[in-house]
Amino acid sequence: MDFGYTEEEERFRERLAEFLDENLTEEIARQNWEDKGVGAEARTFSGKLAANGFLGMSWPKEYGGQGQAPTYDFILLDELGKRWGCHVPLDVGYTMVGPTILRRGREEMKNYFLPRIIRGEIEFCLGYSEPNAGSDLASMQMRATEEQDCYVISGQKTFNTEAHYSEYHWLAARTDFGSGMPKHKGISLFIVDMDSPGITVRPLWTMSGERTNEVYYDEVKVPKDRLVGEKNKGFYYMMEALGSERNQVFVPARLFPVLEDLIAYAKETEFMGKRLSEDPLIRDKIAQAAIELEVARVLADHSRWLEYNHLPMNYEPEVTKVFTSELEQRLVDSAMQILGLYGPLEEESNWAVLRGRIAWYYLHSFMTTIGAGTSEIGRSVIAQRGLGLPRSY
Amino acid sequence: MDFYFTEEQKILRETARDFLSSHCPSSLVLEMEKDEKGYTPELWRKMAELGWMALVIPEEYEGVGGDFLDLVVMLEEMGRACLPGPFFSTVIGSFGIIESASQHQMREYLPKVAAGDLKLTLAHTEPGYTRYDPFLVEVTASAEGDDYLIKGTKLFVSDAQVADCMICVARTKGEKYSSDGISLFIIDTKSEGIKARAIKTIAGDKQYEVLFDNVRVTGENLLGELHRGGKYLERVLQKAIVGKCAEMLGGAQKVLEMASAYAKEREQFGKQIGSFQAVQHHCANMLMDVEGSRYITYKTAWMLGKGIPCAKEVAAAKAWVGDSFKRVVGLGHQVLGATGYIVEHDMPIYSRRAKTAEMVYGDSNYCRQVVARELGL
Repeated sequence: MDFGYTEEEERFRERLAEFLDENLTEEIARQNWEDKGVGAEARTFSGKLAANGFLGMSWPKEYGGQGQAPTYDFILLDELGKRWGCHVPLDVGYTMVGPTILRRGREEMKNYFLPRIIRGEIEFCLGYSEPNAGSDLASMQMRATEEQDCYVISGQKTFNTEAHYSEYHWLAARTDFGSGMPKHKGISLFIVDMDSPGITVRPLWTMSGERTNEVYYDEVKVPKDRLVGEKNKGFYYMMEALGSERNQVFVPARLFPVLEDLIAYAKETEFMGKRLSEDPLIRDKIAQAAIELEVARVLADHSRWLEYNHLPMNYEPEVTKVFTSELEQRLVDSAMQILGLYGPLEEESNWAVLRGRIAWYYLHSFMTTIGAGTSEIGRSVIAQRGLGLPRSY
Repeated sequence: MDFYFTEEQKILRETARDFLSSHCPSSLVLEMEKDEKGYTPELWRKMAELGWMALVIPEEYEGVGGDFLDLVVMLEEMGRACLPGPFFSTVIGSFGIIESASQHQMREYLPKVAAGDLKLTLAHTEPGYTRYDPFLVEVTASAEGDDYLIKGTKLFVSDAQVADCMICVARTKGEKYSSDGISLFIIDTKSEGIKARAIKTIAGDKQYEVLFDNVRVTGENLLGELHRGGKYLERVLQKAIVGKCAEMLGGAQKVLEMASAYAKEREQFGKQIGSFQAVQHHCANMLMDVEGSRYITYKTAWMLGKGIPCAKEVAAAKAWVGDSFKRVVGLGHQVLGATGYIVEHDMPIYSRRAKTAEMVYGDSNYCRQVVARELGL
């Protein structure tokens, strides 16, 4: 066992840290972590990351990567996370779609998409949920009918974050309508150009100010070569992509700035002549958060290590996701308690502390145990796949 | 980064699991709880023949010179089997010697430990431990010519009755909470003036009150530098803590297996109870706690083995694994229902032990204060 990084990896980390300290501005970080939408600044930053060789270190050479160990991408995500960067600017492509194309896509699809993902040029949005298919994804109704030269797709998706600025839709739709067969066996995955005629995107604003979207398809024509892998195998690919999402979006590193802010706040804030950092109750809460982050970090390292080494991933990404998302809620709750009356102040208020980010995180934290699969579905998956218990739904 | 165990570690685990499942059934565990010695010399001898006591002893003292992670693999299996007896105490005693002793002393003691001929324990905590602080030491060692006279009471000393020697933590100068002025002595448990009395615990482990009534030892018994025992103690306790985490991890894994096996086999309302989400989610929570305990323990063990400073990580591991094991046994009982509450069932062995493991070497509250200090608070 080895929980460390090699000298070369540490040198990469230093080089990256220097680059990020210089280039990752507040504006870019916000476009990223607040999910308000990646704009021109974050796009330019994405290109710079690639031009400096920070993207694609762990990807195969034939598609524009460097063919190095997976740990380089761990370092990339961790260093971004530590600086409120949250993830790479075009993260759906880089962390979910890309790895799935690499595993399941046909050669021409790999050649068409992967180099541009590694150059930080294109982004995808996920098209899974529908109004009547949330936790029960397999019951999705969007129809993709195969015609002579294309698929024709109609239906509605919902909660498709990033749909308003992505180039491509990573879309799951029903391709087999036969009755009597298991629902999940008739689903296929497609990559659709977002500017295709017949697509309408409408905003849904969330309580934390992030924009997500409803996406309507009205007889949208999609070329056959945009089918990912094999027809009717899409549900399995989607599950794999969800594994990547759990491993790489729920990266504990992005919670470290919250801990650091809290420590700084406790050290410099006084009450009744004493610093908050001297109060045993506050020390206990902060220490507990730090302990949980240590645990999350090693769980996440294990699970992404499995993924990147092409080892079987069973329940591990789910453990990382459920643990990290619930930890976020506990961490933010502790932070709010420590800030007290100041906690709920918004960034714009005169008296806001820690730039209002704890308040924002509090609002955001309700999403983390729902997005990418609820904690309840997660626990059933863990029990069924990890322990072999019978299916409960 | 690499999460693989070495081939040697895999073999070590398999050997330990096979050996313990045939030689240390739960019936023996329960029997030894009532036994005065708390172990059988036959089992001890067989473990010695397998080289287990030699595992952490350096090669130059006739040991195996294994890595700390090797020991963690072994202790995890022992925790799973709830192995009774003075193995853990002896290993911690060995670390007491390795961290502090002169070459001459190591030559005297360590080969005997490696051969299974010398059992050890650490006499550290005292009646003053109503809360925990490792530098609270009131047992005194006062110099008298070249000798020292040890005086006072140690409490919660494991396996004192069967240990051949004790590593006694004594105050040689300074205030009672100071890390400065602590010294370590290795003392023959049969020395005149030592009296050990068993104290019964719900865990059925062998804890003792040990009275030192002006026990005379010579300068030969002093381990390392006078007054500098605090720094040795700190290093020994870090290893003891992570070793205890490994034992708890093994126990928690076993409880998880018992609960999920029962959830698959037990039927109510015409269905396996494991198909009910309330039960499934209990099991999932146990698995998450076990996984977190597993990797935080391995990571900390790796750091200790590499000599990377890890005061924060060690305290974090103890707080997390102690709390986790407590939650796991709670949920284990819930899944197993009334059947797990019966004295012949294996479940109570683990829930009784989880509580003493949680308290030893500093409970979670104490550990969180250490973490807070390490965070710069």
